[in-house]
Amino acid sequence: MRREGSPWQGLGAVVLKELADNLSSARMRVLEWLIVLTAFAALYGAIGQLRDTTAEDPFLLLRLFTVSRSPLPSFVAILGFLIPLMAIGLGFDTINGEYNRRTLSRILAQPIYRDALMMGKFLAGLATLAVSLTCMWLLVLGLALLFLGVPPGGEEIARSLVFLIVAIVYGGVWLALAMLLSVIFRSPATAALVALGIWLLLTLIWPMLSPAIASVIAPPDIRYEALGLPTPETLEWQQMLARLSPNNLFGEAMLAVLSPTTRALGAVFIDQLQGAILGAPLPFGQSLLIAWPQIVGLIAATIMLFVAAYIVFQRQEIRA
Amino acid sequence: MQLSHFVFAALLTIAPPLAIAAPADDTSKDIKGLYLITDYPAISVRPGTTSTIALKLQNYGLAPDRYRLAVTGVPAGWTATLLGGGQPVGAAMPPTDGSVPLQLRLEIPANAGTGRETVTVTAEGSGRSLALPVTVTLAKELPAKLHVEAKLPDLRGSAKSAFDYQITIKNDSGRNLVASFAADAPKNFETSFTEAYGSQELSAIPIDAGQSKDIKLHVRPPSTIDAGRYPVTVKVNAEDATADTKLSLEIVGQPRLSLAGRDGLVSARAEAGAQSTIPVVVSNTGSAPADDINLSGSGPSGWKIAFEPKTVDRLAPGEQKEVQAQITPTAKSLAGDYMVSLNAAARGENASAQYRITVSTSTLWGMTGAGVIAAALLIMVGAIARYGRR
Repeated sequence: MRREGSPWQGLGAVVLKELADNLSSARMRVLEWLIVLTAFAALYGAIGQLRDTTAEDPFLLLRLFTVSRSPLPSFVAILGFLIPLMAIGLGFDTINGEYNRRTLSRILAQPIYRDALMMGKFLAGLATLAVSLTCMWLLVLGLALLFLGVPPGGEEIARSLVFLIVAIVYGGVWLALAMLLSVIFRSPATAALVALGIWLLLTLIWPMLSPAIASVIAPPDIRYEALGLPTPETLEWQQMLARLSPNNLFGEAMLAVLSPTTRALGAVFIDQLQGAILGAPLPFGQSLLIAWPQIVGLIAATIMLFVAAYIVFQRQEIRA
Repeated sequence: MQLSHFVFAALLTIAPPLAIAAPADDTSKDIKGLYLITDYPAISVRPGTTSTIALKLQNYGLAPDRYRLAVTGVPAGWTATLLGGGQPVGAAMPPTDGSVPLQLRLEIPANAGTGRETVTVTAEGSGRSLALPVTVTLAKELPAKLHVEAKLPDLRGSAKSAFDYQITIKNDSGRNLVASFAADAPKNFETSFTEAYGSQELSAIPIDAGQSKDIKLHVRPPSTIDAGRYPVTVKVNAEDATADTKLSLEIVGQPRLSLAGRDGLVSARAEAGAQSTIPVVVSNTGSAPADDINLSGSGPSGWKIAFEPKTVDRLAPGEQKEVQAQITPTAKSLAGDYMVSLNAAARGENASAQYRITVSTSTLWGMTGAGVIAAALLIMVGAIARYGRR
């Protein structure tokens, strides 16, 4: 089984066909409406809050993403919750759906290799996500101009563009996971359930679980406890474990990029803040540097999940 | 007149004069006789001057009679004249229970030398003979008739401060005087005399005998003067009496340091863990040179702040010098803005500037992140190479 021909052969056809299918599917429409309406609600709350409380802010546009008004969470938090849902919705039946419709062997009878099929389906899913997220991003900019009447500055646009790219990559992680599950499980329902289970675990349960696990691995020091301080080792473990969740990575990266005053993600010793002028915004490059490890984590996770899906798919019997 | 005073009398007999301490008016009933009296029978005179001594021929309860007056024992070269009513007299006739004022004028030549002489004034008539010896002490230096004193003769201040001296002039002469004064100060110093509690400038002030007056001397040095001690002499003149007092004002120059970046910039950039050099300008805007200026800095813990050079030996007024501050944030610094304070201290004078340092972190970890992504892609390539295509 020597590798022959261009790796791009058939990729374009798969991407275009999948994209068309995705964009016209009813499932996609439901997901889009869900996102748009929720985003509207969160944005409306944020705009109201900004008008009431913020006197002057050099990064007014960015505040739209991060300001929350109870009971609604902030726009970024809502996206962190909903993008996985959207990606899982797009990806949970990519391979096993074809298999169950008995179209997989027909497609692969064409001069389209399995890697091109997988890559094409992944890229189409990512493109669909990108289209809807870009729409939402433009929606936010438009609403900000409309309600706040302040034109965004260059750095704000740059930061919000980074937000858009990271959001797409974050969607990529969940899309790759959903595709991996769709390769592993023959039944789309099982794949969807497992994907949703993982999503729930990583988004809701993991943040509660990681401190408990961290305190088992590195028990808190009684001397720090007496002072009411967290033990540095425990805190470090807790953070490392929490960062296993893509949701956490996305949240941290967004915090660094959308709140320019963020100096560090994670625990900071007091002596590191001595003499620091708090509240001074960081240059864009420095903020990006802080968020970079998180962004790298998301990109690497996407690639690794995709590679896993590819390996499993390559070794699979696909004749039905 | 005072209630009691010493009355020196020369009695009729040849006996030495007796001092009788008694009020003249009250005892006039008990005392009977003729007396030649003076307030001060012993005086000091400077050679070359003329001195006048008031005498009185007093008659208690005797009939008026003619008494011949004479001065004996006058040293050679001296001129002694008895005056009465402004002209020389040779005899006097005091009425009963009355007196005749007389004056003894002594003209003493300048070459009289020093020592003590006794001049005797005598009055003779109708069997009575009176003698009043007057002792004249010749002294080269007479006690001052004017006295000037400053309460605080040494004042200290900067070139811009005002120097006010409180001066007391005392008139020790027996006459009412008009004292005029002048101050002798270095060039370009402004001096003026005013009343002690007033703003009117004066050049002279009348002082009653035995009284004193307070005046104020205001000295304003030129503002560009160097530090140092400057003498001021106050001279007071009244008729033939002069007095002076020496005052001094010490001007302490003050260096005033200021610290800022080039063009007044007080912000700079630095990279975590790497040394960056910031030009800092130290300038002296004061009036005295600043010596041994030590430069130091303090920042967040773990930061290294050094200066090149570490000290500035001397900075004359109006001069400025550029030094280099070498700031090294710790490798663990978070990105962002920090306050660093830079200090320049010369003896007693210091200046500090708050610098805002924008710390950026190394992009090394960013490269590592790119490496991680490359590794993930390599795994993908490896997987594709291993499993090939189907």
